[in-house]
Amino acid sequence: MKILVCIKQVPDKDSTFRVDAGGTWVETDNLTFQVNDYDRYALEEALRLKDAGEAEVVVCSIGPDRASQAIKTALAMGVDRAVHVVDPAAENSDSLGLARILHAVAAEESFDLILAGLQAEDDNVAQVGPMLARLLDMPCATAITSLQVAEDGKSIRVERELENNRRQVVDLDLPALVTVQTGINSPRYASLKGIMAAKRKETRKPALADLGLSAEQVAPRRRVLALAPPAKGEGAEILQGSTADMVTELVQRIKEKTGVI
Amino acid sequence: MADRILVLAEHESGALRERTWELLGLAHRLGEEAGKEVGAVLLGSGVQDLAEQLAARGGCEVLHADDPALAEYTQQGYGRMLEQVVAEESPWMVLASHSPTGWEVLPGLAAALDAVMATEIMAVTLESGTPRFTARVFNGKFEVLWTLGEQPPFLATVQRGAHGAVENAAAGSVRAVSCSLDEAPLRTRYVETRTGESGAVDLTQATVIVSGGRSLGGPEKFDIIRELAETLGGQVGASRPVTDAGWLPPEHQVGSSGVTVAPKLYIAAGISGAIQHIAGMKGAGYIVAINKDAEAPIFQVADVGIVGDLFEVIPALTKAVQQAKG
Repeated sequence: MKILVCIKQVPDKDSTFRVDAGGTWVETDNLTFQVNDYDRYALEEALRLKDAGEAEVVVCSIGPDRASQAIKTALAMGVDRAVHVVDPAAENSDSLGLARILHAVAAEESFDLILAGLQAEDDNVAQVGPMLARLLDMPCATAITSLQVAEDGKSIRVERELENNRRQVVDLDLPALVTVQTGINSPRYASLKGIMAAKRKETRKPALADLGLSAEQVAPRRRVLALAPPAKGEGAEILQGSTADMVTELVQRIKEKTGVI
Repeated sequence: MADRILVLAEHESGALRERTWELLGLAHRLGEEAGKEVGAVLLGSGVQDLAEQLAARGGCEVLHADDPALAEYTQQGYGRMLEQVVAEESPWMVLASHSPTGWEVLPGLAAALDAVMATEIMAVTLESGTPRFTARVFNGKFEVLWTLGEQPPFLATVQRGAHGAVENAAAGSVRAVSCSLDEAPLRTRYVETRTGESGAVDLTQATVIVSGGRSLGGPEKFDIIRELAETLGGQVGASRPVTDAGWLPPEHQVGSSGVTVAPKLYIAAGISGAIQHIAGMKGAGYIVAINKDAEAPIFQVADVGIVGDLFEVIPALTKAVQQAKG
Protein backbone atom coordinates (compact mmCIF):
# COMPACT_ATOMS: atom_id res chain seq x y z
CA MET A 1 0.00 0.00 0.00
CA LYS A 2 1.24 3.45 -0.91
CA ILE A 3 0.19 6.23 1.44
CA LEU A 4 0.47 10.00 1.09
CA VAL A 5 0.23 12.22 4.16
CA CYS A 6 -0.30 15.95 3.59
CA ILE A 7 1.04 18.15 6.39
CA LYS A 8 1.23 21.85 7.13
CA GLN A 9 3.72 23.73 9.25
CA VAL A 10 1.91 26.16 11.58
CA PRO A 11 2.90 28.48 14.42
CA ASP A 12 2.89 27.02 17.93
CA LYS A 13 -0.64 27.77 19.13
CA ASP A 14 0.59 28.96 22.52
CA SER A 15 2.61 31.75 20.89
CA THR A 16 1.89 35.38 21.64
CA PHE A 17 0.57 36.61 18.32
CA ARG A 18 0.72 40.17 16.99
CA VAL A 19 -1.12 41.50 13.96
CA ASP A 20 1.31 42.31 11.15
CA ALA A 21 1.91 45.78 9.66
CA GLY A 22 -0.52 45.15 6.80
CA GLY A 23 -3.24 44.15 9.25
CA THR A 24 -4.02 40.98 7.29
CA TRP A 25 -2.18 38.24 9.20
CA VAL A 26 0.07 37.75 12.22
CA GLU A 27 3.75 38.67 12.44
CA THR A 28 5.68 35.48 11.79
CA ASP A 29 9.25 36.63 12.44
CA ASN A 30 9.47 35.60 16.06
CA LEU A 31 7.21 32.58 16.05
CA THR A 32 8.13 28.95 16.62
CA PHE A 33 6.70 26.67 13.94
CA GLN A 34 5.73 23.04 14.23
CA VAL A 35 3.72 20.32 12.48
CA ASN A 36 -0.02 21.09 12.65
CA ASP A 37 -1.39 19.03 15.52
CA TYR A 38 -4.10 17.29 13.45
CA ASP A 39 -1.42 16.30 10.91
CA ARG A 40 0.70 14.59 13.59
CA TYR A 41 -2.23 12.25 14.18
CA ALA A 42 -2.50 11.69 10.40
CA LEU A 43 1.22 10.84 10.27
CA GLU A 44 0.89 8.43 13.18
CA GLU A 45 -2.10 6.70 11.57
CA ALA A 46 -0.10 6.19 8.35
CA LEU A 47 2.91 4.89 10.28
CA ARG A 48 0.69 2.42 12.14
CA LEU A 49 -0.43 0.99 8.80
CA LYS A 50 3.22 0.77 7.80
CA ASP A 51 4.09 -0.98 11.07
CA ALA A 52 1.23 -3.43 10.53
CA GLY A 53 2.35 -4.55 7.08
CA GLU A 54 3.69 -3.51 3.74
CA ALA A 55 3.29 0.18 3.18
CA GLU A 56 5.33 3.03 1.85
CA VAL A 57 4.56 6.38 3.45
CA VAL A 58 5.28 9.62 1.60
CA VAL A 59 4.80 13.04 3.18
CA CYS A 60 4.05 16.21 1.25
CA SER A 61 4.11 19.79 2.48
CA ILE A 62 3.73 23.09 0.67
CA GLY A 63 5.55 25.96 2.29
CA PRO A 64 8.61 28.16 2.50
CA ASP A 65 12.08 26.86 3.36
CA ARG A 66 11.26 26.75 7.08
CA ALA A 67 8.70 24.00 6.34
CA SER A 68 11.65 21.64 5.79
CA GLN A 69 11.73 21.38 9.58
CA ALA A 70 8.21 19.92 9.61
CA ILE A 71 9.25 17.47 6.91
CA LYS A 72 12.30 16.46 8.94
CA THR A 73 10.00 15.75 11.88
CA ALA A 74 7.83 13.51 9.69
CA LEU A 75 10.85 11.67 8.26
CA ALA A 76 12.28 11.20 11.75
CA MET A 77 8.96 9.72 12.91
CA GLY A 78 9.38 7.06 10.23
CA VAL A 79 7.99 8.40 6.95
CA ASP A 80 9.95 6.98 3.97
CA ARG A 81 10.39 10.02 1.75
CA ALA A 82 9.13 13.54 1.23
CA VAL A 83 7.95 16.04 -1.34
CA HIS A 84 8.38 19.67 -0.33
CA VAL A 85 6.75 22.08 -2.77
CA VAL A 86 8.67 25.33 -2.45
CA ASP A 87 7.52 28.18 -4.63
CA PRO A 88 6.70 31.77 -3.70
CA ALA A 89 3.51 31.56 -5.79
CA ALA A 90 2.35 28.57 -3.74
CA GLU A 91 2.74 30.34 -0.41
CA ASN A 92 -0.13 32.76 -0.85
CA SER A 93 -2.46 30.33 -2.54
CA ASP A 94 -5.95 29.58 -1.22
CA SER A 95 -7.35 26.15 -0.34
CA LEU A 96 -8.34 25.30 -3.91
CA GLY A 97 -4.91 26.34 -5.17
CA LEU A 98 -3.24 24.18 -2.53
CA ALA A 99 -5.51 21.27 -3.43
CA ARG A 100 -4.49 21.71 -7.08
CA ILE A 101 -0.81 21.57 -6.14
CA LEU A 102 -1.35 18.43 -4.05
CA HIS A 103 -3.39 16.98 -6.92
CA ALA A 104 -0.39 17.47 -9.22
CA VAL A 105 1.90 15.80 -6.65
CA ALA A 106 -0.51 12.89 -6.10
CA ALA A 107 -1.02 12.43 -9.85
CA GLU A 108 2.69 11.67 -10.31
CA GLU A 109 2.31 8.33 -8.53
CA SER A 110 -0.71 6.31 -7.58
CA PHE A 111 -1.53 6.41 -3.90
CA ASP A 112 -3.97 3.95 -2.34
CA LEU A 113 -4.66 6.16 0.65
CA ILE A 114 -4.22 9.85 1.33
CA LEU A 115 -4.35 11.24 4.87
CA ALA A 116 -4.50 14.83 6.06
CA GLY A 117 -5.43 16.58 9.29
CA LEU A 118 -9.05 17.68 9.72
CA GLN A 119 -8.02 21.32 9.69
CA ALA A 120 -5.09 23.65 10.19
CA GLU A 121 -4.71 25.21 13.61
CA ASP A 122 -3.83 28.63 12.20
CA ASP A 123 -6.47 29.44 9.56
CA ASN A 124 -9.07 26.88 10.75
CA VAL A 125 -10.10 26.29 7.14
CA ALA A 126 -10.65 22.48 6.82
CA GLN A 127 -11.05 22.48 3.03
CA VAL A 128 -7.92 21.20 1.30
CA GLY A 129 -8.51 17.50 2.09
CA PRO A 130 -12.05 17.16 0.69
CA MET A 131 -11.15 19.44 -2.24
CA LEU A 132 -8.20 17.22 -3.11
CA ALA A 133 -10.42 14.15 -2.86
CA ARG A 134 -12.84 15.70 -5.37
CA LEU A 135 -10.06 16.66 -7.78
CA LEU A 136 -8.76 13.07 -7.63
CA ASP A 137 -12.31 11.65 -7.75
CA MET A 138 -11.63 9.72 -4.53
CA PRO A 139 -14.23 8.95 -1.87
CA CYS A 140 -13.59 10.96 1.27
CA ALA A 141 -14.33 10.88 4.99
CA THR A 142 -13.53 13.70 7.41
CA ALA A 143 -12.74 13.88 11.14
CA ILE A 144 -12.09 10.17 11.43
CA THR A 145 -11.45 8.64 14.83
CA SER A 146 -10.64 5.11 13.68
CA LEU A 147 -9.38 3.43 10.52
CA GLN A 148 -9.16 -0.24 9.58
CA VAL A 149 -8.14 -1.76 6.27
CA ALA A 150 -10.46 -4.54 5.04
CA GLU A 151 -8.96 -8.04 4.80
CA ASP A 152 -8.95 -7.96 1.00
CA GLY A 153 -7.11 -4.62 1.11
CA LYS A 154 -9.62 -3.02 -1.23
CA SER A 155 -11.49 -0.80 1.19
CA ILE A 156 -11.23 0.84 4.59
CA ARG A 157 -13.74 1.12 7.41
CA VAL A 158 -13.60 4.41 9.28
CA GLU A 159 -15.47 6.10 12.10
CA ARG A 160 -16.34 9.72 11.43
CA GLU A 161 -16.85 11.88 14.46
CA LEU A 162 -20.30 13.47 14.53
CA GLU A 163 -21.62 15.87 17.13
CA ASN A 164 -22.89 15.02 20.62
CA ASN A 165 -20.67 12.00 21.20
CA ARG A 166 -21.85 10.05 18.14
CA ARG A 167 -19.90 8.40 15.36
CA GLN A 168 -20.80 7.31 11.84
CA VAL A 169 -19.19 4.12 10.58
CA VAL A 170 -18.60 4.16 6.84
CA ASP A 171 -16.77 1.99 4.29
CA LEU A 172 -14.69 3.66 1.57
CA ASP A 173 -13.32 1.89 -1.49
CA LEU A 174 -9.62 2.48 -2.06
CA PRO A 175 -8.10 4.67 -3.29
CA ALA A 176 -9.59 7.07 -0.75
CA LEU A 177 -8.79 10.21 1.20
CA VAL A 178 -9.48 10.74 4.89
CA THR A 179 -8.95 13.68 7.23
CA VAL A 180 -8.00 12.81 10.77
CA GLN A 181 -9.43 14.11 14.05
CA THR A 182 -7.15 14.55 17.07
CA GLY A 183 -7.23 11.76 19.64
CA ILE A 184 -7.42 8.92 17.06
CA ASN A 185 -4.04 7.64 18.35
CA SER A 186 -1.02 8.80 20.34
CA PRO A 187 1.48 10.30 17.89
CA ARG A 188 4.98 8.96 18.38
CA TYR A 189 8.00 11.12 19.00
CA ALA A 190 11.04 10.76 16.79
CA SER A 191 13.71 8.48 18.25
CA LEU A 192 17.39 9.34 18.02
CA LYS A 193 17.70 6.52 15.51
CA GLY A 194 14.80 8.00 13.55
CA ILE A 195 16.45 11.41 13.50
CA MET A 196 19.70 9.92 12.20
CA ALA A 197 17.88 7.83 9.59
CA ALA A 198 15.93 10.90 8.40
CA LYS A 199 19.17 12.47 7.19
CA ARG A 200 19.53 9.78 4.53
CA LYS A 201 15.95 9.97 3.30
CA GLU A 202 14.99 11.62 0.04
CA THR A 203 13.20 14.98 -0.06
CA ARG A 204 12.24 16.17 -3.51
CA LYS A 205 11.64 19.91 -3.83
CA PRO A 206 9.61 20.64 -6.94
CA ALA A 207 8.56 24.17 -7.88
CA LEU A 208 5.17 24.75 -9.49
CA ALA A 209 6.59 24.54 -13.02
CA ASP A 210 8.05 21.10 -12.20
CA LEU A 211 4.52 19.98 -11.39
CA GLY A 212 3.13 21.37 -14.62
CA LEU A 213 1.39 24.26 -12.88
CA SER A 214 1.58 27.98 -13.52
CA ALA A 215 1.38 30.71 -10.87
CA GLU A 216 -1.96 31.81 -12.40
CA GLN A 217 -3.50 28.40 -11.80
CA VAL A 218 -2.93 28.70 -8.07
CA ALA A 219 -3.38 32.47 -7.71
CA PRO A 220 -5.50 33.12 -4.61
CA ARG A 221 -9.10 34.21 -4.99
CA ARG A 222 -9.82 33.88 -1.27
CA ARG A 223 -7.85 36.55 0.52
CA VAL A 224 -7.74 38.11 3.98
CA LEU A 225 -8.93 41.71 3.97
CA ALA A 226 -8.41 42.30 7.69
CA LEU A 227 -7.29 40.48 10.81
CA ALA A 228 -7.90 41.81 14.31
CA PRO A 229 -8.53 40.57 17.84
CA PRO A 230 -12.27 39.84 18.21
CA ALA A 231 -14.33 42.89 19.07
CA LYS A 232 -14.65 42.81 22.83
CA GLY A 233 -18.17 42.23 23.96
CA GLU A 234 -19.03 42.94 27.54
CA GLY A 235 -16.77 40.09 28.48
CA ALA A 236 -16.13 38.83 31.97
CA GLU A 237 -15.82 41.10 34.92
CA ILE A 238 -12.20 40.50 35.92
CA LEU A 239 -11.71 40.33 39.69
CA GLN A 240 -8.76 42.21 41.16
CA GLY A 241 -6.64 41.96 44.27
CA SER A 242 -4.80 39.21 46.09
CA THR A 243 -5.73 35.56 45.49
CA ALA A 244 -7.52 35.54 48.86
CA ASP A 245 -9.51 38.67 47.97
CA MET A 246 -10.43 37.36 44.55
CA VAL A 247 -11.68 33.95 45.74
CA THR A 248 -13.68 35.56 48.56
CA GLU A 249 -15.31 37.85 46.01
CA LEU A 250 -15.87 34.91 43.64
CA VAL A 251 -17.57 32.77 46.29
CA GLN A 252 -19.87 35.70 47.03
CA ARG A 253 -20.81 35.98 43.34
CA ILE A 254 -21.40 32.26 43.00
CA LYS A 255 -23.67 32.36 46.06
CA GLU A 256 -25.69 35.27 44.73
CA LYS A 257 -25.91 34.24 41.09
CA THR A 258 -26.30 30.48 41.23
CA GLY A 259 -27.41 29.47 44.70
CA VAL A 260 -25.29 26.31 44.49
CA ILE A 261 -23.40 27.18 47.69
CA MET B 1 -29.52 32.40 -12.84
CA ALA B 2 -26.98 33.69 -10.42
CA ASP B 3 -29.69 35.27 -8.29
CA ARG B 4 -30.26 32.77 -5.53
CA ILE B 5 -28.84 31.86 -2.15
CA LEU B 6 -29.11 28.11 -1.70
CA VAL B 7 -28.85 26.53 1.72
CA LEU B 8 -28.21 22.85 2.35
CA ALA B 9 -30.85 21.58 4.79
CA GLU B 10 -29.89 18.96 7.37
CA HIS B 11 -32.17 16.46 9.00
CA GLU B 12 -31.73 13.68 11.48
CA SER B 13 -34.06 11.00 12.88
CA GLY B 14 -36.99 12.34 10.91
CA ALA B 15 -36.65 16.00 11.93
CA LEU B 16 -35.04 19.07 10.42
CA ARG B 17 -32.08 20.24 12.47
CA GLU B 18 -32.18 23.61 14.25
CA ARG B 19 -29.17 24.85 12.27
CA THR B 20 -31.18 24.65 9.06
CA TRP B 21 -33.49 27.37 10.39
CA GLU B 22 -30.44 29.42 11.35
CA LEU B 23 -29.03 29.10 7.82
CA LEU B 24 -32.36 30.24 6.43
CA GLY B 25 -32.45 33.16 8.86
CA LEU B 26 -29.05 34.28 7.57
CA ALA B 27 -29.98 33.63 3.93
CA HIS B 28 -33.20 35.68 4.14
CA ARG B 29 -31.47 38.60 5.86
CA LEU B 30 -28.67 38.59 3.28
CA GLY B 31 -31.06 37.95 0.39
CA GLU B 32 -33.07 41.02 1.27
CA GLU B 33 -29.96 43.16 1.36
CA ALA B 34 -28.43 41.73 -1.81
CA GLY B 35 -31.67 41.38 -3.77
CA LYS B 36 -31.42 37.58 -4.02
CA GLU B 37 -34.03 34.86 -3.70
CA VAL B 38 -33.57 32.10 -1.14
CA GLY B 39 -33.81 28.39 -1.85
CA ALA B 40 -33.18 25.26 0.19
CA VAL B 41 -31.84 21.90 -0.95
CA LEU B 42 -33.23 18.88 0.86
CA LEU B 43 -31.66 15.50 0.15
CA GLY B 44 -33.06 12.24 1.48
CA SER B 45 -35.30 9.28 0.91
CA GLY B 46 -38.99 9.41 1.80
CA VAL B 47 -38.81 12.80 3.49
CA GLN B 48 -41.60 14.58 1.63
CA ASP B 49 -43.08 15.69 4.97
CA LEU B 50 -39.80 17.41 5.86
CA ALA B 51 -39.75 19.12 2.47
CA GLU B 52 -43.19 20.56 3.20
CA GLN B 53 -42.20 21.68 6.71
CA LEU B 54 -39.11 23.31 5.25
CA ALA B 55 -41.11 25.21 2.63
CA ALA B 56 -43.75 26.27 5.15
CA ARG B 57 -41.47 27.65 7.86
CA GLY B 58 -38.39 28.34 5.73
CA GLY B 59 -40.15 30.76 3.43
CA CYS B 60 -38.44 29.60 0.27
CA GLU B 61 -38.61 27.16 -2.60
CA VAL B 62 -37.38 23.73 -1.53
CA LEU B 63 -35.47 21.72 -4.11
CA HIS B 64 -36.16 18.20 -3.00
CA ALA B 65 -34.10 15.28 -4.29
CA ASP B 66 -35.50 11.92 -3.28
CA ASP B 67 -33.37 8.84 -3.86
CA PRO B 68 -33.05 5.56 -1.92
CA ALA B 69 -29.26 6.05 -1.99
CA LEU B 70 -29.76 9.20 0.11
CA ALA B 71 -31.52 7.37 2.96
CA GLU B 72 -28.38 7.80 5.06
CA TYR B 73 -25.86 10.57 4.58
CA THR B 74 -22.72 9.55 2.69
CA GLN B 75 -20.17 11.96 1.30
CA GLN B 76 -20.49 10.70 -2.27
CA GLY B 77 -24.27 10.40 -2.23
CA TYR B 78 -24.81 13.89 -0.88
CA GLY B 79 -21.84 15.32 -2.77
CA ARG B 80 -22.87 14.07 -6.20
CA MET B 81 -26.52 14.99 -5.77
CA LEU B 82 -25.67 18.46 -4.49
CA GLU B 83 -23.35 19.01 -7.45
CA GLN B 84 -26.12 18.16 -9.89
CA VAL B 85 -28.70 20.36 -8.19
CA VAL B 86 -26.28 23.29 -7.97
CA ALA B 87 -25.19 22.84 -11.60
CA GLU B 88 -28.82 23.26 -12.70
CA GLU B 89 -29.43 26.25 -10.46
CA SER B 90 -26.18 28.23 -10.88
CA PRO B 91 -26.73 29.98 -7.52
CA TRP B 92 -25.09 33.18 -6.35
CA MET B 93 -24.20 31.65 -3.00
CA VAL B 94 -24.35 28.24 -1.32
CA LEU B 95 -24.42 27.99 2.48
CA ALA B 96 -24.13 24.88 4.63
CA SER B 97 -23.76 24.44 8.35
CA HIS B 98 -20.21 23.94 9.65
CA SER B 99 -21.18 20.43 10.65
CA PRO B 100 -19.75 16.99 9.85
CA THR B 101 -22.00 17.08 6.77
CA GLY B 102 -21.32 20.66 5.70
CA TRP B 103 -17.54 20.63 6.11
CA GLU B 104 -17.35 17.31 4.25
CA VAL B 105 -19.46 18.05 1.15
CA LEU B 106 -19.06 21.80 0.57
CA PRO B 107 -15.30 21.82 -0.24
CA GLY B 108 -15.91 19.02 -2.76
CA LEU B 109 -18.66 21.10 -4.35
CA ALA B 110 -16.29 24.08 -4.46
CA ALA B 111 -13.63 21.99 -6.23
CA ALA B 112 -16.20 20.71 -8.72
CA LEU B 113 -17.42 24.26 -9.46
CA ASP B 114 -13.94 25.79 -9.48
CA ALA B 115 -15.12 28.04 -6.65
CA VAL B 116 -13.43 29.15 -3.43
CA MET B 117 -15.08 29.11 -0.04
CA ALA B 118 -14.98 30.39 3.53
CA THR B 119 -15.18 28.18 6.62
CA GLU B 120 -17.23 28.44 9.80
CA ILE B 121 -18.31 32.00 9.17
CA MET B 122 -20.13 34.07 11.79
CA ALA B 123 -21.38 36.87 9.54
CA VAL B 124 -21.66 38.00 5.92
CA THR B 125 -21.52 41.66 4.93
CA LEU B 126 -21.87 43.23 1.49
CA GLU B 127 -19.41 45.64 -0.07
CA SER B 128 -20.73 47.02 -3.37
CA GLY B 129 -22.79 43.86 -3.72
CA THR B 130 -19.86 41.51 -3.10
CA PRO B 131 -19.99 39.37 0.04
CA ARG B 132 -17.33 39.41 2.73
CA PHE B 133 -17.16 36.78 5.41
CA THR B 134 -16.23 37.07 9.08
CA ALA B 135 -14.70 34.06 10.83
CA ARG B 136 -12.35 33.21 13.68
CA VAL B 137 -8.79 31.99 13.19
CA PHE B 138 -5.87 31.04 15.47
CA ASN B 139 -8.09 29.09 17.82
CA GLY B 140 -10.49 31.98 18.29
CA LYS B 141 -7.81 34.55 19.10
CA PHE B 142 -8.42 36.64 15.97
CA GLU B 143 -11.32 37.61 13.77
CA VAL B 144 -10.68 37.52 10.05
CA LEU B 145 -12.50 39.15 7.15
CA TRP B 146 -12.31 37.01 4.01
CA THR B 147 -13.10 37.97 0.44
CA LEU B 148 -13.79 35.23 -2.10
CA GLY B 149 -13.25 37.56 -5.04
CA GLU B 150 -15.92 39.01 -7.29
CA GLN B 151 -17.08 35.95 -9.16
CA PRO B 152 -20.05 33.89 -7.89
CA PRO B 153 -20.82 31.29 -6.71
CA PHE B 154 -19.67 32.14 -3.17
CA LEU B 155 -19.55 29.15 -0.82
CA ALA B 156 -19.35 29.09 2.96
CA THR B 157 -19.99 26.90 5.97
CA VAL B 158 -21.69 28.75 8.82
CA GLN B 159 -20.95 28.49 12.53
CA ARG B 160 -23.78 26.98 14.55
CA GLY B 161 -25.64 29.58 16.61
CA ALA B 162 -24.10 32.49 14.71
CA HIS B 163 -27.45 33.65 13.37
CA GLY B 164 -31.02 33.61 14.65
CA ALA B 165 -33.54 31.20 13.14
CA VAL B 166 -35.83 32.26 10.30
CA GLU B 167 -39.02 33.91 11.54
CA ASN B 168 -42.35 34.84 10.00
CA ALA B 169 -41.40 33.97 6.44
CA ALA B 170 -44.16 33.57 3.88
CA ALA B 171 -44.58 29.89 3.02
CA GLY B 172 -42.73 28.61 -0.06
CA SER B 173 -43.24 25.56 -2.22
CA VAL B 174 -41.60 22.21 -2.86
CA ARG B 175 -40.12 21.30 -6.23
CA ALA B 176 -38.94 17.75 -6.88
CA VAL B 177 -35.66 17.81 -8.76
CA SER B 178 -35.13 15.19 -11.40
CA CYS B 179 -31.50 14.37 -10.68
CA SER B 180 -30.48 10.78 -10.18
CA LEU B 181 -27.52 8.97 -8.69
CA ASP B 182 -27.75 5.88 -10.85
CA GLU B 183 -24.81 6.05 -13.25
CA ALA B 184 -21.82 5.07 -11.07
CA PRO B 185 -21.89 3.05 -7.86
CA LEU B 186 -21.08 5.01 -4.72
CA ARG B 187 -17.67 4.26 -3.22
CA THR B 188 -18.73 5.42 0.25
CA ARG B 189 -21.13 3.10 2.06
CA TYR B 190 -22.97 3.78 5.29
CA VAL B 191 -22.55 1.04 7.91
CA GLU B 192 -24.06 2.37 11.14
CA THR B 193 -24.18 5.23 13.62
CA ARG B 194 -22.79 4.62 17.11
CA THR B 195 -23.35 6.59 20.25
CA GLY B 196 -20.30 6.89 22.47
CA GLU B 197 -20.45 5.33 25.91
CA SER B 198 -21.69 7.72 28.52
CA GLY B 199 -20.06 5.68 31.28
CA ALA B 200 -20.64 6.70 34.87
CA VAL B 201 -20.71 10.42 34.07
CA ASP B 202 -23.59 12.34 32.57
CA LEU B 203 -22.52 15.97 32.36
CA THR B 204 -25.79 16.99 30.72
CA GLN B 205 -27.56 16.47 34.06
CA ALA B 206 -24.96 18.23 36.23
CA THR B 207 -25.82 21.40 38.16
CA VAL B 208 -22.17 22.33 38.57
CA ILE B 209 -19.28 21.49 36.25
CA VAL B 210 -15.64 22.30 36.91
CA SER B 211 -13.60 21.80 33.71
CA GLY B 212 -9.86 21.63 33.34
CA GLY B 213 -7.74 22.23 30.26
CA ARG B 214 -4.42 21.26 28.77
CA SER B 215 -2.49 23.74 30.90
CA LEU B 216 -3.04 21.52 33.95
CA GLY B 217 -0.18 19.51 32.48
CA GLY B 218 -1.12 15.93 33.33
CA PRO B 219 -3.82 13.55 34.59
CA GLU B 220 -2.62 13.64 38.22
CA LYS B 221 -3.02 17.43 38.24
CA PHE B 222 -6.78 16.98 37.91
CA ASP B 223 -6.99 16.26 41.64
CA ILE B 224 -7.42 19.97 42.39
CA ILE B 225 -10.24 20.17 39.81
CA ARG B 226 -11.88 17.04 41.25
CA GLU B 227 -11.66 18.42 44.78
CA LEU B 228 -13.32 21.70 43.80
CA ALA B 229 -16.03 19.85 41.86
CA GLU B 230 -16.75 17.59 44.83
CA THR B 231 -16.87 20.53 47.21
CA LEU B 232 -19.44 22.20 44.95
CA GLY B 233 -21.38 18.95 44.49
CA GLY B 234 -20.55 18.96 40.79
CA GLN B 235 -18.89 16.97 38.03
CA VAL B 236 -15.51 17.19 36.31
CA GLY B 237 -15.41 18.32 32.70
CA ALA B 238 -12.54 18.78 30.28
CA SER B 239 -11.48 20.43 27.03
CA ARG B 240 -10.69 18.34 23.98
CA PRO B 241 -6.87 18.17 24.36
CA VAL B 242 -7.37 16.58 27.81
CA THR B 243 -9.52 13.71 26.54
CA ASP B 244 -7.39 13.35 23.38
CA ALA B 245 -4.36 12.82 25.61
CA GLY B 246 -6.28 10.23 27.62
CA TRP B 247 -6.06 12.16 30.92
CA LEU B 248 -9.82 11.68 31.27
CA PRO B 249 -12.29 9.41 29.40
CA PRO B 250 -14.05 10.98 26.37
CA GLU B 251 -17.41 11.34 28.15
CA HIS B 252 -15.89 14.22 30.14
CA GLN B 253 -15.29 16.30 27.03
CA VAL B 254 -17.41 19.45 26.82
CA GLY B 255 -17.79 20.89 23.32
CA SER B 256 -19.56 20.55 20.00
CA SER B 257 -17.87 17.19 19.38
CA GLY B 258 -18.32 16.08 23.00
CA VAL B 259 -21.31 16.93 25.16
CA THR B 260 -23.30 20.14 25.22
CA VAL B 261 -23.99 21.17 28.81
CA ALA B 262 -26.11 23.75 30.61
CA PRO B 263 -25.29 23.64 34.34
CA LYS B 264 -26.16 26.45 36.74
CA LEU B 265 -22.45 27.02 37.33
CA TYR B 266 -19.58 26.29 34.93
CA ILE B 267 -16.00 26.87 36.02
CA ALA B 268 -13.38 26.74 33.24
CA ALA B 269 -9.87 26.36 34.65
CA GLY B 270 -6.93 26.65 32.29
CA ILE B 271 -9.18 26.48 29.22
CA SER B 272 -8.44 29.07 26.56
CA GLY B 273 -11.87 28.82 24.95
CA ALA B 274 -11.57 27.22 21.51
CA ILE B 275 -14.70 27.76 19.41
CA GLN B 276 -15.75 24.15 19.69
CA HIS B 277 -15.46 24.18 23.50
CA ILE B 278 -17.47 27.37 23.85
CA ALA B 279 -20.19 25.89 21.62
CA GLY B 280 -20.64 23.18 24.24
CA MET B 281 -20.89 25.35 27.38
CA LYS B 282 -22.14 28.82 26.50
CA GLY B 283 -25.63 27.83 27.66
CA ALA B 284 -24.45 27.56 31.27
CA GLY B 285 -26.23 29.82 33.78
CA TYR B 286 -23.10 31.39 35.26
CA ILE B 287 -19.62 31.02 33.82
CA VAL B 288 -16.39 31.50 35.75
CA ALA B 289 -13.06 31.54 33.91
CA ILE B 290 -9.67 31.12 35.53
CA ASN B 291 -6.71 31.51 33.19
CA LYS B 292 -3.24 32.98 33.33
CA ASP B 293 -3.67 34.54 29.85
CA ALA B 294 -5.79 37.69 30.16
CA GLU B 295 -6.37 37.59 26.38
CA ALA B 296 -7.83 34.06 26.37
CA PRO B 297 -11.16 34.01 24.43
CA ILE B 298 -12.86 32.23 27.37
CA PHE B 299 -13.04 35.60 29.18
CA GLN B 300 -15.35 36.86 26.42
CA VAL B 301 -18.05 34.33 27.26
CA ALA B 302 -17.49 34.19 31.03
CA ASP B 303 -19.49 36.25 33.50
CA VAL B 304 -16.63 36.62 35.92
CA GLY B 305 -12.93 35.89 35.58
CA ILE B 306 -9.72 35.60 37.51
CA VAL B 307 -6.44 36.12 35.69
CA GLY B 308 -3.99 34.01 37.60
CA ASP B 309 -2.24 30.73 38.24
CA LEU B 310 -4.88 28.03 38.55
CA PHE B 311 -2.65 25.96 40.86
CA GLU B 312 -2.92 28.82 43.33
CA VAL B 313 -6.48 29.96 42.65
CA ILE B 314 -8.29 26.59 42.52
CA PRO B 315 -7.12 25.24 45.93
CA ALA B 316 -7.83 28.65 47.49
CA LEU B 317 -11.29 28.63 45.94
CA THR B 318 -11.96 25.11 47.21
CA LYS B 319 -11.03 26.21 50.70
CA ALA B 320 -13.18 29.35 50.47
CA VAL B 321 -16.19 27.31 49.30
CA GLN B 322 -15.71 24.87 52.18
CA GLN B 323 -15.66 27.78 54.65
CA ALA B 324 -18.71 29.38 53.07
CA LYS B 325 -20.62 26.13 53.43
CA GLY B 326 -19.55 26.01 57.07
